[in-house]
Amino acid sequence: MSSQQQTVDELIRSDYEHGFVTAIESDTVPPGLNESVIRTISAKKNEPEWMLTLRLQAYQHWLTMEHPDWAHVQHPPIDFQAVSYYSAPKRKEDGPQSLDEVDPQLLDAYNKLGIPLEEQKALAGVAVDAVFDSVSVATTFRKNLADVGVIFCSMSEAVQEYPELVQKYLGTVVPYKDNFFACLNAAVFTDGTFVYIPEGVRCPMELSTYFRINEANTGQFERTLIIAEAGSHVSYLEGCTAPMRDENQLHAAVVELIVMDDAKIKYSTVQNWYPGDAEGRGGIYNFVTKRGDCRGARSHISWTQVETGSAITWKYPSCILRGDDSVGEFYSVAVTRGMQQADTGTKMIHLGRNTRSTIVSKGISAGRGQNTYRGLVRMTPRAENARNHSQCDSLLIGDRCGAHTFPYIEVRNPTAKVEHEATTSKIGDDQLFYCRQRGLSEEDAVSMIVNGFCKEVFNELPMEFAVEAQKLLNLTLEGAVG
Amino acid sequence: MLSIKNLHVSIEDKAILKGLNLEIAAGEVHAVMGPNGSGKSTLSHVLAGREGYEITDGEVLFNGEDLLSLEPEQRARLGIFLGMQYPVELPGVNNMTFMRESLNAVRRGRGEAELDAVAFMKRVREKAKLVELDDRLLKRSVNAGFSGGEKKRNEILQMAMLEPQLAILDETDSGLDIDALRVISGGVNALRSPDRSIILITHYQRLLDYIQPDFVHVLVDGRIVRSGDKQLALELEKKGYGWIEEEAAA
Amino acid sequence: MSTTVEAQRAWFEQAIDQAQGDLPGQDLEWLQQTRAHARRAIGTLPVPNRKSEEWRYTAIEGLLKNSFQTPAGEADAARVLEAGGWLEPDYPAYRVMIVNGRCIADASQTAGLPEGATVGSLRTALATDPELLGTWFGQAAAHTDHLFTALNTALINDGIFLHLEPGVVLDRPVEVVYLSLGQEQAPLTQPRNLVVLENGASATLVERFIGPGDALYFHNGVTELALRDGAVLKHYRVQDESRNAYHLSSLYLTQDRNSLYQGTTLAFGGAWARTDYQAVFKEEGARCELGGLYTVGDRQLTDFHLDVRHNVPDCSSREQFKGILYGKGRGVFDGRILVEKQAQHSDAHLSNDNLLLTENGEIDTKPQLEIYADDVKCSHGTTVGQIDPQQMFYLRSRGIDADAARRMLCLGFAGEVIDAIEVPELREYASQRLVATLNQSIQAAE
Repeated sequence: MSSQQQTVDELIRSDYEHGFVTAIESDTVPPGLNESVIRTISAKKNEPEWMLTLRLQAYQHWLTMEHPDWAHVQHPPIDFQAVSYYSAPKRKEDGPQSLDEVDPQLLDAYNKLGIPLEEQKALAGVAVDAVFDSVSVATTFRKNLADVGVIFCSMSEAVQEYPELVQKYLGTVVPYKDNFFACLNAAVFTDGTFVYIPEGVRCPMELSTYFRINEANTGQFERTLIIAEAGSHVSYLEGCTAPMRDENQLHAAVVELIVMDDAKIKYSTVQNWYPGDAEGRGGIYNFVTKRGDCRGARSHISWTQVETGSAITWKYPSCILRGDDSVGEFYSVAVTRGMQQADTGTKMIHLGRNTRSTIVSKGISAGRGQNTYRGLVRMTPRAENARNHSQCDSLLIGDRCGAHTFPYIEVRNPTAKVEHEATTSKIGDDQLFYCRQRGLSEEDAVSMIVNGFCKEVFNELPMEFAVEAQKLLNLTLEGAVG
Repeated sequence: MLSIKNLHVSIEDKAILKGLNLEIAAGEVHAVMGPNGSGKSTLSHVLAGREGYEITDGEVLFNGEDLLSLEPEQRARLGIFLGMQYPVELPGVNNMTFMRESLNAVRRGRGEAELDAVAFMKRVREKAKLVELDDRLLKRSVNAGFSGGEKKRNEILQMAMLEPQLAILDETDSGLDIDALRVISGGVNALRSPDRSIILITHYQRLLDYIQPDFVHVLVDGRIVRSGDKQLALELEKKGYGWIEEEAAA
Repeated sequence: MSTTVEAQRAWFEQAIDQAQGDLPGQDLEWLQQTRAHARRAIGTLPVPNRKSEEWRYTAIEGLLKNSFQTPAGEADAARVLEAGGWLEPDYPAYRVMIVNGRCIADASQTAGLPEGATVGSLRTALATDPELLGTWFGQAAAHTDHLFTALNTALINDGIFLHLEPGVVLDRPVEVVYLSLGQEQAPLTQPRNLVVLENGASATLVERFIGPGDALYFHNGVTELALRDGAVLKHYRVQDESRNAYHLSSLYLTQDRNSLYQGTTLAFGGAWARTDYQAVFKEEGARCELGGLYTVGDRQLTDFHLDVRHNVPDCSSREQFKGILYGKGRGVFDGRILVEKQAQHSDAHLSNDNLLLTENGEIDTKPQLEIYADDVKCSHGTTVGQIDPQQMFYLRSRGIDADAARRMLCLGFAGEVIDAIEVPELREYASQRLVATLNQSIQAAE
């Protein structure tokens, strides 16, 4: 037991791997939020009038809203006036036309993150959009994608180049009135990713965005919009990191997915924002609204997330299962250690007939981490023969952490069927002994058992991401076990 | 190879082993028999280093080294293998991955090079034949959803892979039908060698028809009360444990 | 918004200020203080609304539209006997009759109780045994846990007092019948019960809640239960309130070392009925088993809230609740298991299964695990669905008609809960009551 505890402690203390700061000259708006800041952001981005109007509308509404307090997390009040709402790496010209023109120091930063654009381009054929602080700095592979009609660009570019698409879909899944953070995002979002897959197109490669918060006192408010037209298919990956800083940084993103008849979006996240130090100093407040709208019949959204970072994670990637026979999936691994807190889960809103949803959530708490699954399954009167199955398992490592499960199940159709199961336990002594009897060290045994615990979720990730996620999990748990 | 002297073990202040002595030389097969609650499983767990047992007196030397001060994985790397009565399930942990990690950890401990994937696969397939273990089970999670017989085959497969110096087989025969018993015994017999010792812990004489022991010991109330050869087991089969318990009490 | 809140608060204040009849124990300082404290709390406690987690699915607006009044004095025993209905099922028991919140001695029967056992009116006990009551009152219940508990506490008047000295084992169940009779002014009946089982004592307690026809009333009962070392209480509750009744039972249970509590609640009646259970383990080795069955038909809301708190190590809890929804009604289930940091080796499991037989019903279920200790075994499971068509087909292929098949399968579904009742006559009664409900549901479906 004591040696187990020791290993646990070591694991918990292991350092944040991505905690470097990149020295880049950047163009940052001074901290504070008011109408003129929003006008500045809009002007810097050379936005059309309708975009500015949307922002100002959201801002006015935000002023009437209160910070939500229902999540199982604790933090001091956030001073929204102390945050800088815009930070862009300064560039000599108007912007890079290709990767070669991107600031080498920036590329170096990505290299340190282990996701060299060049290499990825060559090796994996993954098209990458990278969002550094608030703006999108490079989008690879645009041309290859354009050949099949796929649009993959930054949100800023989309506003300029595809305004009719943006205007048609932006805010239709997550309206600005939805919640406090989504509303803030609608007012101040600076960039993000825009993806459009035309009818019948199967996107020829995985699309990927890496997010990084670099500047001090900077909030990151990106906005992602993915539209999959009838019969199309896309797999999208996002990864996130941030440097180590003593103060808390705010990340309030919004992701909207729209899926038409027979289309599918697979959305995978590996979130490794800086979690703060062992005493809970610093770290990212990750307040994210992600929602997908299965508008078409037989449409399909699959969310997979591996959440190992952030001081606080508050996110509920959800599916509105509107189209008949549509399918929603949520696969999640959330790890909290140190002083991390996570309140995460999903909402499955069944509106259409024969809609199906699956929820698999694996929570791992170590150190003094608090890990909460919160989920809603709603079967509306129209949702004939809808089905949901949820499995939420929690693993506790050490006696100072907490694991909580708060599912909400609302059923208004007698033909619907809902099954929910949850368990909470520690790693079995007998499992540990068995592995050690076969010669494995305690730490390897724990890592193996925890990876087994998460297997169902990792299986959902694209291959490369699965490897990265497993590495990240092992790193996170390193020394934490017993 | 193994020397147990005056071993006293308690669980939560209740004495289970009360002065057990046992000497095992290389290449020998010892059967330890005894009624329920006599301390057979405690003996196997203590030798493998399971937590929850308090050693109140005595010592255990393995090739001259003090075994009781070592962690379970250190003992495994020295060549001690415990085939468990109830093999544990590890959901999500691939059986092959597990065996490979295990084998390489033990090989590193012995100062041998790790096996590469190809050599490992070759060896697993070869050994799996020994216990007639279905290939599909190799790809599944360790013991998860295996039948009783499949779990025991998987244990013997791991023994074959790890090539231990001392194998302790704890009620390996329990819950097996006659065919499975034959296969598993065949596997164990194939692994007998002059430098490998085996402790067979069992309730029934039946197993000893398949695996011939060199010595038979009867464990009653935490002590070995009688030792002999195969004949002793046959005698027990006829007369039960009662007479020997009475003798021990007298 | 805030004016609504104030109006709602005023409803509670009026209910207290307009209460008629004498409150007993005016000379007991602790009791007067307790009442006054609760009265003051009405001014500050949050008013339940959809935003409060505990009342998310259970609106109180309908309740507050009515005005209820605490009746003066005791009901007429003759009228009570005339009302009948409460006599079934009949089995050997010590009986206490409570009408509109007041014990009716003439209709009660507690002769032959063993020495060391007290079963009777709380009002009487306040006069005869004030010190014992003073010791135990408020031990389990936070008097101001929520507005309704405070409302009850501010008007503590009567109810049952059950006390067993160490080692006393009751040979027969104690049956308490709560009868609510309609009046010109809809009554607010607020029994306040105290059940204390000292070390090693053991009892079976049956509570039945009934009201004739469509009488309108609000039953707002609070029960404190304390089980001391090794005590065993089997507690069966049958809620059979009138079609228009509002019913809230708040139960506060504390358990000492190695005690065992087995509670089963069957909820059939009422327009708006809620049962709140709070169980707290105070010492190691205790076990709490809560079971429940609810049927929800047209114009009914039935709500169960469970809050099981593992505060100390080595305790176990089991909760098994089943619901059958057959009309345009709403079922609400909220079951929390809390395991505090020090409560290692807690073993807790909760299940909630629901059958939706017809359209227009709604079930909202929310099992919760809140765990702060690592060496625990905790789990919950929830299902919502209809009768398995394959099972239906199987029965029908054996010649059983659809209605009978449906009834059979529902009885099978509910069986586990009903079977836990160890009083045979009561178990039989519960089955019959369920069958009657199911027949109603079959009619509703046609």
